[in-house]
Amino acid sequence: MWPLPDVLLHAMHFHMWLDALFKFQITGTYIVRLILEGLLIGVIYALMALGLTLIFSVLNIVSFAHGEFYMIGGYVVYAILHHYKGFPGLLAIVVAALVTFVIGAVFERLFLQPMAKGQVERPSEYAILITFGLSFFLQFVMLGIMGPFPKKAPRFWSFPKIDLGFIRTTKTTLFLGNIPLSGGRIFAAIIALLALAAVLWFMYRTWTGWALQAVSQDRNAAAVVGINPLNMNTLAFGMGAMLAGLAGAVLVTVFSWVPWVGVPASAKSFVIIVLGGMGSIPGSLVGGLILGVVESLGTGLFPDPARAQAYRDVFGLVIFALVLWLKPTGLFGRKL
Amino acid sequence: MKFRRIYILWALTALFLVGLIFYPRLVNLQPYWVLVGMTALFYAILASSWSLLAGYTGQFSFAHMAFMGLGTYAAGILIRDMGFAPWQATIGGVLITGVVGLIIGYLCLRLRAVYLALFTIAFAEIFRLVVKAEVKFTGGPNGLELPTYTFPGWLQNLLRTIVPFWDANVYIPAYYTMAFLFVAALLFMFLLVRSRFGIFFRAVREDEEAAAALGVHVVNTRVLAFVVSSMIAGFAGIVFHHFIGLIVPDQMQIGRMSLIIAMAVIGGSQNLIGAALGAIFIHFSLEWLQQIPLPTAVLQHLLFLNDWGFSVDLHAGVLRTNAWRMVGFGLLLMLTLRFWQNGLISPIIDWLARREAVESVAQRFQAERDMDAVDDVQAIGSQAEAGNPQEPTS
Repeated sequence: MWPLPDVLLHAMHFHMWLDALFKFQITGTYIVRLILEGLLIGVIYALMALGLTLIFSVLNIVSFAHGEFYMIGGYVVYAILHHYKGFPGLLAIVVAALVTFVIGAVFERLFLQPMAKGQVERPSEYAILITFGLSFFLQFVMLGIMGPFPKKAPRFWSFPKIDLGFIRTTKTTLFLGNIPLSGGRIFAAIIALLALAAVLWFMYRTWTGWALQAVSQDRNAAAVVGINPLNMNTLAFGMGAMLAGLAGAVLVTVFSWVPWVGVPASAKSFVIIVLGGMGSIPGSLVGGLILGVVESLGTGLFPDPARAQAYRDVFGLVIFALVLWLKPTGLFGRKL
Repeated sequence: MKFRRIYILWALTALFLVGLIFYPRLVNLQPYWVLVGMTALFYAILASSWSLLAGYTGQFSFAHMAFMGLGTYAAGILIRDMGFAPWQATIGGVLITGVVGLIIGYLCLRLRAVYLALFTIAFAEIFRLVVKAEVKFTGGPNGLELPTYTFPGWLQNLLRTIVPFWDANVYIPAYYTMAFLFVAALLFMFLLVRSRFGIFFRAVREDEEAAAALGVHVVNTRVLAFVVSSMIAGFAGIVFHHFIGLIVPDQMQIGRMSLIIAMAVIGGSQNLIGAALGAIFIHFSLEWLQQIPLPTAVLQHLLFLNDWGFSVDLHAGVLRTNAWRMVGFGLLLMLTLRFWQNGLISPIIDWLARREAVESVAQRFQAERDMDAVDDVQAIGSQAEAGNPQEPTS
């Protein structure tokens, strides 16, 4: 008989997964820890996917350069903290958000506005290729400037010392009972939650937010009541880029950063928007949390810890394939 | 005999084929440049097969390099673990690529074009990461070794007689195999798009509903284009890497995929030949741009560029632009898309291939209007003579 490849063996001997449950003494606590970690990272995925949803609902395109804004946001924070010691970290995050907003808005004005004005043939194909071209361009610009070696921003926060019995903190870690949670991720998740709240407030409670929603519902009707759809396009693309930049900016202290770090990140946000339904804001929030938890559980329970990290993204791809197969409209999607 | 533009196209084609055949001689059989030529042909096959999908059916696959790698890894593993001969593994690898392409095609191509793009970009990156992680199975980051092809004795002797410098270095047989594959693949795709399937591809792209109403099966047509394009990529990858002897997962990274797209778009993705020529042009430019020779006096003033990732080598008198040449092509890709959507090379081919009309439509229209004007003037004149002036109606 032919020697069976390793991958097939894994698939056949599914009980190995069950064995792993006992081998690593996987208990309820471990599962709870994995779920909490998944929710923490899921908030940041949701922030990124919300940016993509905003772009899709207003401009009706998918930005394939989304991961590159994430990468640039991280590099901006890294560069500021690296060159100016003692620069306030939160301010660096704000600068990163502004930089990504400006890059996104300028790109929209130069390359996407002709599409909205009807100066480009085959707009849907053009949109895919031009945003992909932007991602190509930005990746190699950052490779030229930053080089190929992994960078990691210094930690710029520390927890106050708390001991409430159940909740304890050290400088970098928070303990819930006996579950340790990495402080970097908690910090990132808190910033991401604040940003999410701010964006949702902007979308649902301000005139400009209503104008954005109006354009996403009906461009012509919006134009009739005095909203300039072209300006709303620029604003939406800039904000979408900014949200990706924010996600990168808060994660650069957690992960090490290379110029192509945005590629798996953008793949994750694609999974989320398809899972949640293209153009649905609640869909991208729920989808982000689901993807975070699924990835965390899948990676934590993977039988071979050495390869578990590499398989982290595979769970997203499986979700993607299942959604395309069973329910292409996603969880909250209305039309295709 | 009247001169026609199409003769220029024929002459250029003949010149290109002659150049293709005598290229190793032209570069004095230097192994490095023969390898560069062979790699350019490899990229040309990839770019033109990508443009078969993108330019004719309007679907975008970002997993073209991943399919290339998938086929190659499948062939390598068939040889290593299951004792296949290289030529058997080549067929097996192409078939495996086709099966995976079929599954992904049926999953995504029922939906709008953007879903294929979204899924393939995720698939490509994740496939690369998994290949990198499965060290026991695929060799991990160090890559998988593939044995080179051995030609049967009679063929080898025949080729030695035809090509006197066949054994001058190891890349010469590789170059000629690749050149044969290049011509065969282009011919195959050319015949495919000239057949009724080519008309189906374009019909589905232009108007899905209208094509469906006329009896074209929309999903099957798209899947056919996707599978054929992926299988050609897999085939090119298998042959190329058998001669190189090694495939590494980083060959499938997204930067390479972007480069293929830049080649196809800059050449002209609506035209198979344009995309292939774009690939050859860009690959040779990349080689040339890797080190730009400049006088030391100029380089001294460019030392500040070192802070931005360039490397100014005063001693060797060159400016090395490893990442920045790609930035240039990224920018060129975006500008081409924005201002010359048909690419830079294919409009020239189209212009040469277009049949010259004896009389253009505009000329005929103008002539008819002139005739009408003369009639009007005559009519007014005759009416004036009759003492009954009236406004001309046309």
